[in-house]
Amino acid sequence: MSLAVAVWLSAFAGAVPQSKNFTGAPETFHARAQVATEAARGDVYVDIHVDKYTPEKEREAVLKALQTGGESAFVDAVRKAPIAGQITIGKQTFTIRWAREVKDDKGRTITLVTEKPVYFVGAGLPDAKSRAGYDVAVVQLKMDPAGVGEGTMAAAAKVKPGEPTGVQVDDYGSEPVKLLSVTRKIQ
Amino acid sequence: MLTRALTVPLLCIAASVGIGAQSSKNTAPESFRINGQVTDTPGGVAATMTVQIDKYTPDAEHESIVKALKSGDNKAFLDVLRKAPVVGALKMNNRSIPIRWARQQPQGDNRRIAVMTESPVFFFGAGAVDAKPTAGYDVGVLEFTIDSVGLGKGTMAAAAKVKPGGPTGIEIEDYSGKRIELMTVTRNKS
Repeated sequence: MSLAVAVWLSAFAGAVPQSKNFTGAPETFHARAQVATEAARGDVYVDIHVDKYTPEKEREAVLKALQTGGESAFVDAVRKAPIAGQITIGKQTFTIRWAREVKDDKGRTITLVTEKPVYFVGAGLPDAKSRAGYDVAVVQLKMDPAGVGEGTMAAAAKVKPGEPTGVQVDDYGSEPVKLLSVTRKIQ
Repeated sequence: MLTRALTVPLLCIAASVGIGAQSSKNTAPESFRINGQVTDTPGGVAATMTVQIDKYTPDAEHESIVKALKSGDNKAFLDVLRKAPVVGALKMNNRSIPIRWARQQPQGDNRRIAVMTESPVFFFGAGAVDAKPTAGYDVGVLEFTIDSVGLGKGTMAAAAKVKPGGPTGIEIEDYSGKRIELMTVTRNKS
């Protein structure tokens, strides 16, 4: 599934400048991740902790790597970036290497990239496709000013250059992972 | 690695050659609507499926499957199983997996039913980054009890390795190590 959503792209491309007076990180979000098909549904609780949002310089380095070197250069650049936080699911943790927030009049759009995939949704099917190339996970949260929101997660994703805006996110899973009842934990 | 509690019921049914229940009132063709679920610390999965049984496996075919299984040759067992006539199907979403073995056994007013699919239904947990290989988990096994009204419950190994061994003679090893509980089993009206 291709998720070439404009909001994602603006988050990656930084179309809206990051506010200098945000008071976000460090911050933690709690969410219920859900995947549903006609015949089955899975729910899991997720904690997302952002230590700091990725500075402009590092953000540009990662995007430049994507544009000049493609998918593999993007993954290399992400994995070399400083740790920005972590996603915790049960006893497993996944390191966030890229974190970006973009503010608008409805709140914030937060985009996160992990250094490795979180889960290959649908890989349990006997005829599941190859996992090769799905090397990261991409999370997007839309939070209102009160700290409540929703989001999506490409739990195993391939980030590559693509038209029309320069960034395309392909999700391994055929069904999107919805992040429901997202709440910012009160510190 | 987990050897499932399916072991004893399956052997009971495997040993019940020529049981009278094969001719009881509630028998094939019949279908069941099943709700299964797995819960774990951070979450859970729920699924709906239908088991259609066109006929129960006759004694002769049943005996040859059990004989192949007890020989310890997994390939031979799978060959015999997959050459056996299709006796039904497990339907989930838009998938239909042939059932090659189905048996029932009376238990008072109830029936204990076991079915085996010719291939795995789902490798639960295989989407994890560090998931173990799926090789060798070649079938799916369901076992459930149904009462005279047509309601019941049971368990499922969605991807199973069936092999001889253990105190009962047959062991079922589930890929996931997670017990899929068949919370509600409902016999559909014909």
